[in-house]
Amino acid sequence: MSGYRFERLKILVVDDNQHMRKLVVTILQAFGVVHISEAVSGEAAWNVMRDTNPDVILLDWQMNGMDGLEFARQARTSPQSPNPFIPIIMLTGHTHIDHVRLARDAGVNEFLAKPVSVKAILTRLVSVIDHPRPFVRTNSYFGPCRRRRASEEYKGPERRNVGEATALDDETPVIAKRAAERTS
Amino acid sequence: MSKEQLNKLFMPPNKLKAKVGGGTFAGLDMAAVQRAEAAMETLKVEFVDWIAKDIARLGDAYSTFVANRNANTGSDLFRAAHDLKGQAATFEYPLIARVAASLSKLMDELDSPELAPLTLVQAHVEAIRVIFRDKIKDISNRVALVLVEELETRTQQTLERAAHSE
Repeated sequence: MSGYRFERLKILVVDDNQHMRKLVVTILQAFGVVHISEAVSGEAAWNVMRDTNPDVILLDWQMNGMDGLEFARQARTSPQSPNPFIPIIMLTGHTHIDHVRLARDAGVNEFLAKPVSVKAILTRLVSVIDHPRPFVRTNSYFGPCRRRRASEEYKGPERRNVGEATALDDETPVIAKRAAERTS
Repeated sequence: MSKEQLNKLFMPPNKLKAKVGGGTFAGLDMAAVQRAEAAMETLKVEFVDWIAKDIARLGDAYSTFVANRNANTGSDLFRAAHDLKGQAATFEYPLIARVAASLSKLMDELDSPELAPLTLVQAHVEAIRVIFRDKIKDISNRVALVLVEELETRTQQTLERAAHSE
């Protein structure tokens, strides 16, 4: 018994391939996840995200229309985003480091290369629950910190300064403030 | 220290942790892993049908590409190959995943997918069909391995030639 109450979790699975969706949904159900929504494209996912307010998104990259990368960017930065902080796990056939960087720069929290494995999915899921990344706002990026938690250890003068979400003030990014108000 | 600096990095409240709890011991919940692996086992009877449909989709995309070579049909063919690259190993055909990876690399890394040599594209599609037809699931199958490695080499050579001609 892990103590995770996965039955409370709402997960959105976005993939244009029905077989991959069925596989991922089956695995999530075996973990105990009950509330699972599905979408076949970025556009459809946007509507489902607005309607169901999921806690986590499992997102494919290659899709017709709005692909996973563009969806992640929109989820993070669009003024219409229902939740700019939502954990996004990208599940993709891309494996090259350049693709990992692109996904990271789009605001993806975790990257998971296909073929999928049960352990890999559970590990990423637990990671976004137990070890969420801090968020970063720069002139060109808003999303999870792209440095792999090194910021928690290094205390030198070149590190970014860390604040708490509860201390958001007038200079906080508009998107982040709006989301904080919405989820409070 | 300015307010702007303070707001560059911040930790949102962990509402997910508050909602689902957990983390009461180190390591993965192996019972959940075993349940999920058992669930995947029950799906295995469907895998052969799933991969057959994915290969048929690849064949359709290839036929459309041959009939009308442009960026859109090339992109459709790339996506069909890319799906197989990601899924075929799960569906117990790892060599199909390798051939599909080679094909998707060919279609993706050229300046435009319609520049892909038809003979090489066709060789990939046919190889995938043959591996599936002959139910070759063993990654050490010598004949299939030679075929896969030859396709990967040809893809690499094609991409290098294209890069040099730019």
